[in-house]
Amino acid sequence: MIALRGVSLTYPNGVRALEDVDLEVAKAAFVFLVGHSGTGKSSLLKLLYKEIVPTRGQVHVDNIRVDTLKRSKIPYLRRNVGVVFQDFKLLSHKTVWENVAFALQVTGAATKDIMRQVPRALDLVGLSHKARMFPGELSGGEQQRTAIARALVNNPKILLCDEPTGNLDPANTTEIMELLMRINLKGTTVLVATHNQAVVDRMRRRVVRLEDGRILSDEERGFYVRGLGQSQVLSG
Amino acid sequence: MDWGKVKFFLGEVFANFSRNAGMQLTAIGTVCVTIVMLGAFLYTRETVASLGNGILNKIEIAVYLDDSVSDTDAKKLGNVFASDPRVASAIYVPKKEGLRRMHDVLGRDFDLSLLTANPFPNAYHVRVKDPDLVPQVAGRIAKMHGVTKADYAADTVTKLLKVSETLGRVGLVMIGLLVLTAAIIIANTIRLTVFARRREIAIMQLVGATNGYIRGPFIMEGMVAGLAGAGLAIGVLALARWQVLPKLTAALAFVPFHANEPLIAGELLAVGAAVGFIAAWLSVGRYLRA
Repeated sequence: MIALRGVSLTYPNGVRALEDVDLEVAKAAFVFLVGHSGTGKSSLLKLLYKEIVPTRGQVHVDNIRVDTLKRSKIPYLRRNVGVVFQDFKLLSHKTVWENVAFALQVTGAATKDIMRQVPRALDLVGLSHKARMFPGELSGGEQQRTAIARALVNNPKILLCDEPTGNLDPANTTEIMELLMRINLKGTTVLVATHNQAVVDRMRRRVVRLEDGRILSDEERGFYVRGLGQSQVLSG
Repeated sequence: MDWGKVKFFLGEVFANFSRNAGMQLTAIGTVCVTIVMLGAFLYTRETVASLGNGILNKIEIAVYLDDSVSDTDAKKLGNVFASDPRVASAIYVPKKEGLRRMHDVLGRDFDLSLLTANPFPNAYHVRVKDPDLVPQVAGRIAKMHGVTKADYAADTVTKLLKVSETLGRVGLVMIGLLVLTAAIIIANTIRLTVFARRREIAIMQLVGATNGYIRGPFIMEGMVAGLAGAGLAIGVLALARWQVLPKLTAALAFVPFHANEPLIAGELLAVGAAVGFIAAWLSVGRYLRA
């Protein structure tokens, strides 16, 4: 579903964000990207929806060569890739319903499709009863669920989450992670960049660790701290 | 027709407008001033053109005959003039008639008793179908046997038309500059709206809206500003036509104030819309490319 081959990224200001990264992510996988701030997690996600282009290497998403994709084709790529951020990026003057519908409206969707898909997305994130409320009237977790509903309303094959629980308390964090799991179980490929050790350690999914722009380790059923799983297995 | 889509689009346009109402009013005002000047210019140009054409169409060639030409020969000459396909009419004015006409025009100031002989030659007044052909026809007639002179006043009229044409060009340049100013103000207004809505634009791009779709409401905003300015300008011009024109007509009785007003109004609306469209297109385009 996702493949990065020999990808390097240097920003115009000279900062090297990624260095010779190779990564394959299968369909319907759930992957954590971990590492300190500034190790290239967000940059890697941005490459996948062509917010930025690599300096070198190839980026493939759902059989599309993203790094060479024409500018005019980017919108169609993004309809297949939902993105969720730490700061939710909701429109404060629109209701929950309108925020979610917005993603369909601006892609020119027919009204009858909007009327069908928005309730489904809101139901999935458990916010049907708050559809008429504004983001300012919701908790952080609910705002993030709204953002997830917006990311999913197009039925994308991939969901990218950049520190989705960074602004949330532990209870809301759990709620969001459970939601992401449910979404993944329905067949959506989910990539989550995070520094939340508790989340990573509890979920025991594939963990890709970045350090200074390189992939330091890539473990199935990994822990936040590198090799911890293996040492536990050895000691157990 | 998907009314939900239309409603959403119009909602976006309205949101754009309400973000920068003050700036929008400035833009509309500038467009209005520009279009008022353009409208007055178009009206004047059409009036001057019809005034000039009117005079040109009335130009006659005064063909003076030699006194030695007999009445019969004069009639024959008249037939020759009239047989030219470019000539509309050729009217004979014998010398007595010429004198009488001069007397009619000058009245008492012209004392016939002082004349010992009629100084007027026999003449023809020749009218030409196309005013542009007057010099050609006059030249040909002047060379004919028995003709002493073929005179016309076209020179003066041509000069007048040339002057008005030059003035028109200067006016056009000035209006061009004004249109440019209006476009820049609209473009800046739209840039402010784009800036105010950058968060929404970022989200639109994130969820896969095409640049064309994102541009739509802003283009509409520019066109609405342009059309509103033009509409207002047409109102001002209509008021001026109603209040000022009767006074002008009274003062300048010989000027045929006339123009195809619906056509001019249509042209002005088109200019307003086009200025708004182009300004908005460039303004948003620059943002989306960046």
